[in-house]
Amino acid sequence: MTKWTRRDVMISAGVAAPALLASRGARSAAANFPTKNIQFVIPYAPGGGFDIYVRVVTPVMEKYLPNKVSIVPLNVASGAGSRGVTQLYRARPDGYTIGILNIPGMFILQQQQGSGAYDLNKFTWIGAMGEGEQYFINVGTMSPIKTFADLKALSAKRPIKFSVTGPEGTAYMATKIGASLLGLKSQLITGYKGSADYVIAAVRGDSDAVVAAVPTTMRFRRGGQLRPLISFEAHSSIPGLPDATSVGQPELENVRVERLVAGPPGVPADIVNIVSTALAKALVDPVVVKWAKENDVVMKPRTPQETVATVTTQKAFFEKWKATAS
Amino acid sequence: MLEMWLSGFQGLLHVDVFLLVVLGMVIGLVFGAIPGLGGSTAIALLIPLTYGMEPFTALALAGGVMGSVPMGGSITSILLNTPGTAPNAATCLDGHPLAQQGKAGLAIGAAGSANAIGAIIGTISVLAVLPLANDIVLLFGPPEFFLMSVFALIVVATATRGKMLRGLVTGAFGLMVAYIGYNDIAGGERFTYGIEYLWDGIHLVPALIGLFAVAEMINLTVKGGTVAKSATAVKITSMTSGLFETFRHLGTVLRGSLIGTTVGAIPGLGGTVVAFLSYSVTVQASKNPESFGKGNIQGVIAPEAAICAHDCSALIPTLTFGIPAGAEMAVFLGLLIIHGMQPGPLMLRDHQVEIYGLIWALTASCVFASFVGLAFVRVLAKITLVDSSILVPLVLSTAFAGSYAIDMSIENVVVTGVFGVLGYLMMRYDYPRLMIIVALVLGGNIERNLHQSMLMGEGGWSIFTTRTISIVLMLAIVAVLALPFVRALIKQLRVRPVSVGE
Repeated sequence: MTKWTRRDVMISAGVAAPALLASRGARSAAANFPTKNIQFVIPYAPGGGFDIYVRVVTPVMEKYLPNKVSIVPLNVASGAGSRGVTQLYRARPDGYTIGILNIPGMFILQQQQGSGAYDLNKFTWIGAMGEGEQYFINVGTMSPIKTFADLKALSAKRPIKFSVTGPEGTAYMATKIGASLLGLKSQLITGYKGSADYVIAAVRGDSDAVVAAVPTTMRFRRGGQLRPLISFEAHSSIPGLPDATSVGQPELENVRVERLVAGPPGVPADIVNIVSTALAKALVDPVVVKWAKENDVVMKPRTPQETVATVTTQKAFFEKWKATAS
Repeated sequence: MLEMWLSGFQGLLHVDVFLLVVLGMVIGLVFGAIPGLGGSTAIALLIPLTYGMEPFTALALAGGVMGSVPMGGSITSILLNTPGTAPNAATCLDGHPLAQQGKAGLAIGAAGSANAIGAIIGTISVLAVLPLANDIVLLFGPPEFFLMSVFALIVVATATRGKMLRGLVTGAFGLMVAYIGYNDIAGGERFTYGIEYLWDGIHLVPALIGLFAVAEMINLTVKGGTVAKSATAVKITSMTSGLFETFRHLGTVLRGSLIGTTVGAIPGLGGTVVAFLSYSVTVQASKNPESFGKGNIQGVIAPEAAICAHDCSALIPTLTFGIPAGAEMAVFLGLLIIHGMQPGPLMLRDHQVEIYGLIWALTASCVFASFVGLAFVRVLAKITLVDSSILVPLVLSTAFAGSYAIDMSIENVVVTGVFGVLGYLMMRYDYPRLMIIVALVLGGNIERNLHQSMLMGEGGWSIFTTRTISIVLMLAIVAVLALPFVRALIKQLRVRPVSVGE
């Protein structure tokens, strides 16, 4: 009580020390967070996978913040995503700017574009939009290749043609590493624009096979267009298929795309905690769970520490395989 | 199927859904008219509003927006030479000269009615073709996309009659610009000179805003006065004259709609190419091609009919495979997924009522928007009588702000400025602008699909000769190239007997 009086007196006397005011500001910011809208940077265009996750999860996340504010998605797609990442990195570390980052997409981007204006190790990692997506190798249902053994047999005769994005895409890396781990000779038909495009290429017969993430695989499998041959998961979510464990290649499990949520370097721990908790609660909210189920996505929350561990593991995996993947 | 079709229509008859379609239409008109905004921005902004809605209602709203965007875009194309959206750039070519002659009302009326008829034809075709959608989309692979892109480029190039060399120069320039940015095939970036913005290449819409809107405003400033040269012509504009013009050129409407529908159903080319393709084919088919570019009403009707028909049939690849035909459809895909509808082969089975509702909403919005356009023809046409000292600052600030708003980058504004000066110089020295746009859109397509075809065929060219559709497309290309010579020959043969007789 005395403290307040003294401070009030100081202010009214016009001799308030700016430092003191600032420290009060910082304390109350953490205690009352959030007092204004939070900006959610998406370094990709509207309508893409990352954008959709954010737009599904953030309205629910708002419910679990201590104060009633909005989370406003902001697409900053320029420069293949690097503009958005840089904007997030340079934002004020007050929790009012957060964003979604693609791992290993960001490693690939940095490798291709040089060190850039940001250090991925320094971001404040907050959580993840669900489990990392793993992959399947698939063929079109009209393909003469029926099993993984058929694929291996073909690979002994000639390189398998895989349809995929350009070399900056995560699917390119997944295809390269996956084929290499499974001992498949591969030739990539590059340049397809996004997952639906390269999957259709395989269905149409442009390529022999396609490496596609679990949700994409499931969608086209249900539609009767794709036949999955092998899963990169430890235990295949489609029964009866070979997987990372059964072929003795546990490293396949690390081939994945992570949708991680981060803030700029130096966001105070208590603010990280508030945002991270709201995100975690949103992921188990019935609205999000229902959506995830419809879209074959697993929405498991992750703590900031677990998220940092994911980045570390993925970085090590990327460093090990980057020569193969590029 | 017919039952679903009707229940989709019935769904729209609920007052709240119907009002949302109308709301969507108004938003689409406004966003379509403002350069740089367009349907993708409108839908992206509306997504949060749809969270609490039933999927059917959300799709009806989106359909309302998508249906009216072309009409909004055509209004500014005609009045101010400022394409509201990229496909409307084709409408500028003859629409604006008409406005300069004081016939803006006529052009807007014709654009509106062509839009509406195009949408209706597009819808009927989509409903007929939808059950076969899977097979159609799978027929076209990289070799076919490559040949289709080359075909489109050649058709447009041959439409620049009499200015062939100039057309080639601007086309080549467009292709050069198209290769700036990421190399989709081999990776890495090209011609970016360390500028981060250029990694994604030169963005089409800022370039278009420059080439048309800014160029026109520079032109207007230099000349002074108003857009329309004759105030009396503007004043006699009647609501129905444009409508009658469209019905007088039903052949052009049908051809445009057919081109729009066919190309829309095959993913890859997109609305801008469709509009220019329809325009160019109409020029080719015309008895006096010289009149185009100077205010031929068919130059307005052809692209506008094609754009709306294309928008309807572009739903086919978007819904059945999740392959978006342009930025607007990409955002629309996001909307679908957020509402728990996965685009793909099952979409047609599981969400038929929603799909038919969407198609009805899109068509209804297209038709309503045309009525709105027709109703306001006289008021809108008066814009062409506003003095340049008022008009130019207004349009320029909207154009630059719109360009910036696309993805909040100031570099867009620079691109708009540079292309504005370029566009003015091209106008001044009579270089055709349509080639530069088509090359800009198709450059990447051509390169990517050629590479993919080569990879598919393991380096051999036989991939083009062993596929039926490829062969048909190659024959079509040969036919288009031969057409001018054949025509000249026929003309000569007709003339000769007369000269002999003399």
